[in-house]
Amino acid sequence: MLAAIRAVLVRELIKMFRQKSRLLSAMVRPLIWLFVIGGGIGSLIDSATPGQYQRDIVPGIIGMTILFGSMLSSLSTVYDKESGIMRMMIVAPIPTYWIVACKMLASTVAGSVQAALVCVLLLLLGFLSPAIMLNPSFLLAVGLTALACAALGMVTSALSDSLDNFASIMNFVIFPVFFLSGALYPVRDLPAPLLLVSRLNPFSYGVDLMKRAVDSGGMASDFGVALSVGVLVGFSLLALVFSSWRLHQEARQARLFNLAGGRSR
Amino acid sequence: MILAQGISKHYGALTAVDGLSLDIPAGQFFGLLGPNGSGKTTTIHMLATLLAPSAGSILIDGLDITKDPLQARKKIGLVFQDSSLDGTLSVEQNLLFCAGLQGLSLKASRERLQELLPLFDLQDRRHAPVASLSGGMRRAVDILRGIVHRPRVLFLDEPTVGLDLPSRKRIWHFVRRQIAEHGMTVVLTTHYLEEAAPCDQVCFIRQGQAIARGNPDALVHEFGDRILEIEASDIARLTAQLHLKQNDFLMEGNTLLVRERHDTQVSLEEIQQQLAQQVETLRIRKPNLNDVFLWLTSGTEEEKTC
Ligand SMILES: Nc1ncnc2c1ncn2[C@@H]1O[C@H](COP(=O)(O)OP(=O)(O)OP(=O)(O)O)[C@@H](O)[C@H]1O
Ligand SMILES: [Mg+2]
Repeated sequence: MLAAIRAVLVRELIKMFRQKSRLLSAMVRPLIWLFVIGGGIGSLIDSATPGQYQRDIVPGIIGMTILFGSMLSSLSTVYDKESGIMRMMIVAPIPTYWIVACKMLASTVAGSVQAALVCVLLLLLGFLSPAIMLNPSFLLAVGLTALACAALGMVTSALSDSLDNFASIMNFVIFPVFFLSGALYPVRDLPAPLLLVSRLNPFSYGVDLMKRAVDSGGMASDFGVALSVGVLVGFSLLALVFSSWRLHQEARQARLFNLAGGRSR
Repeated sequence: MILAQGISKHYGALTAVDGLSLDIPAGQFFGLLGPNGSGKTTTIHMLATLLAPSAGSILIDGLDITKDPLQARKKIGLVFQDSSLDGTLSVEQNLLFCAGLQGLSLKASRERLQELLPLFDLQDRRHAPVASLSGGMRRAVDILRGIVHRPRVLFLDEPTVGLDLPSRKRIWHFVRRQIAEHGMTVVLTTHYLEEAAPCDQVCFIRQGQAIARGNPDALVHEFGDRILEIEASDIARLTAQLHLKQNDFLMEGNTLLVRERHDTQVSLEEIQQQLAQQVETLRIRKPNLNDVFLWLTSGTEEEKTC
């Protein structure tokens, strides 16, 4: 069982570092947001302390790196289903939930590694201090956020059959999750329906943990630590159970086994 | 080694496999043959624990696979009808990945790779991405993937489809070695029936039911002594002239096949003389598994139940 974790993790990391352009854009994307959005909106609202807004969205920017990193990684499960890797994993003598757990863990690591790389960039640019970066509460925040994002990607890929609807996943999952999380602005003043969505969004709790750990001074956190940790862990466990169940169903209905030859079922 | 009793699989209203029973002893080379859509892949997936049978029971090495699928999977290697490799990873990375899933340590996996790669002369290509390999080499990697964990039973679902003769020969050479050296039980499906001739036992299925089974040589022997093959453009008219019995002939496009059997009255030589002037080709040959298959699937032979 541990050998399976190693195998899945190694494959995930090989694939992550192999796709250089994707890794590069994962590094550049947050910086663009930090400077373009942070700088632009910051110049509108920061009158007293220049640069305050930029500093305020640093936790959200790290959160974004994790969201993209972990989620894209676990979304590759859809590719695994399409290409037959998944059924090959299912013939291995390990239970389905363990396969899902391995994938989620590998995606968590992939997202955390990307977050670490971005944090180093932020450190060089003076937005983070080493003290914060090595602070256990910050590390915990990164790890749990990555886990929850991996879980979200896993649920999404358990529910979708092909990568064709990637654009809709982007529109209806990744963007709403990011914008309604408090990463860019405090959500507490949002209109009630949107506020509700942001409270149901597990990513909000990850960003909140990071805000607490970074403590930029401008944007206060909304939730208690225990609540955030509970939500992130609880959501991930639920996602694990649901995705395993769903994959097991798909295997039973033979949907994973007949790939080529025009049988799309 | 494999004992399946009355297994069926329904997909909604469709019955893909219908009360099939198989008894495959250890170390046997077994061929499951049948036309497209006859339920071969479905059967293999059930035997390999991937699909739960709608009815019936399956024992692999004495283990009830519905009760203990994980334990049974350790004994099973499966090569799917279509490739299941990660094209972006190298040969070595793919195999190490599979070995890990099978629970081999990294060291054991590497050692195993040293044994496996030479079987298909893949040492030089170990770092090549799988997507860059030829179809034959990719198939070879697929097969190696199926045996990394030294399974007792190997299921090969159309392993040679689309490959050239040398690649196919290599695969058969490999299979024979696995059986001879490791006593592996091999279950094969193929549409190239000449490839099934070396099997110890074959089972023909149609619409999910066994329609004939036995040793290929015995089946061919029982089928008939000789075949007369006639080609002509107006074959239907010629056939009508001959007044043959239902069971003794088969029309396939422009070809008429007539079989001679110990219990038939047909004289191939007579027909030959009668038709010699009117046809394009005419030859007498030994029957083979293909003829057995054609006769069986054309439905002229009264169906044997087995
Ligand atoms: N997942 C599925 N859902 C519904 N019907 C299916 C499914 N898989 C297979 N079938 C049907 O079951 C029947 C048997 O299919 P199967 O793939 O076992 O045939 P096969 O003998 O392997 O054919 P081939 O030689 O083309 O590989 C076919 O009619 C097929 O359409
Ligand atoms: Mg098939």
